[in-house]
Amino acid sequence: MDPIALQAGYDLLGDGRPETLWLGIGTLLMLIGTFYFLVRGWGVTDKDAREYYAVTILVPGIASAAYLSMFFGIGLTEVTVGGEMLDIYYARYADWLFTTPLLLLDLALLAKVDRVTIGTLVGVDALMIVTGLIGALSHTAIARYSWWLFSTICMIVVLYFLATSLRSAAKERGPEVASTFNTLTALVLVLWTAYPILWIIGTEGAGVVGLGIETLLFMVLDVTAKVGFGFILLRSRAILGDTEAPEPSAGADVSAAD
Amino acid sequence: MSATNTEQPAVLNTRSVVGLAVCAVIALVGIFVIPTLREPAGGFNTLFWTMAALELLAMVGVVYFVLNLHEEPS
Repeated sequence: MDPIALQAGYDLLGDGRPETLWLGIGTLLMLIGTFYFLVRGWGVTDKDAREYYAVTILVPGIASAAYLSMFFGIGLTEVTVGGEMLDIYYARYADWLFTTPLLLLDLALLAKVDRVTIGTLVGVDALMIVTGLIGALSHTAIARYSWWLFSTICMIVVLYFLATSLRSAAKERGPEVASTFNTLTALVLVLWTAYPILWIIGTEGAGVVGLGIETLLFMVLDVTAKVGFGFILLRSRAILGDTEAPEPSAGADVSAAD
Repeated sequence: MSATNTEQPAVLNTRSVVGLAVCAVIALVGIFVIPTLREPAGGFNTLFWTMAALELLAMVGVVYFVLNLHEEPS
């Protein structure tokens, strides 16, 4: 059977890459998210809300450009690992290097933590992505897995920060902020944990999952972690206030009480 | 509104707004620097780390300018 037939997806550009279907969908969803946040944030005068919008619009905006570059095959390179050529979508790492610290900035703004804490959080996150980048370019399996482990440890540190000190700071800001923060942190904990798992079972790791499935899953994770995150944040009462929010923030009574 | 909302609309710091726009452009340039410069600039690794440096610079810039998005009241 043609190896391409074994890959999930559809070769939209006719260049032998069935994953272009998922990259095209990813580009569209990121663009829709960007324009939705832009329209929603147009004319906002509240000081805090402007900061959230500035960050949240940039995240899917840059991600859509990264997805477009991968769609057209210009965000793609080949790396030799153990004598075998691997397709690496490096634009993905450029996207993560820019966007993941900004997602954390949104959470830090919500929790109103000091600038030293923000700097530490952003610094560890950047280290997480940079070590992932080194892993992606490494030519031996042992080097790749070692950098993956280093990057994963950095991620655990970031998630620990979120679940402890930032959560406490958010709790002090009242039930609405605590509720929104808890919802967003739960989303980040689940989604971000899935990234290193997908990497290790994907084509850049053990190769259990093919490039088509891997690209589909990364696209779902990326869209949820960026557009879904922004949607929850910008529609929450913590940002909009009681009169403008369409519905109560999820779990306000339960999460804020603990 | 949020906890720190004030009665008067906050005054945007024009320099920070321009800074945010410049950072967005730098981030975009970073994504497309490899396919654009691969031939004249030679090695992929050099360009790859140039891309990473540009993305880091843009990210740090966004963090700084967002934290200074409004004028301090005099």
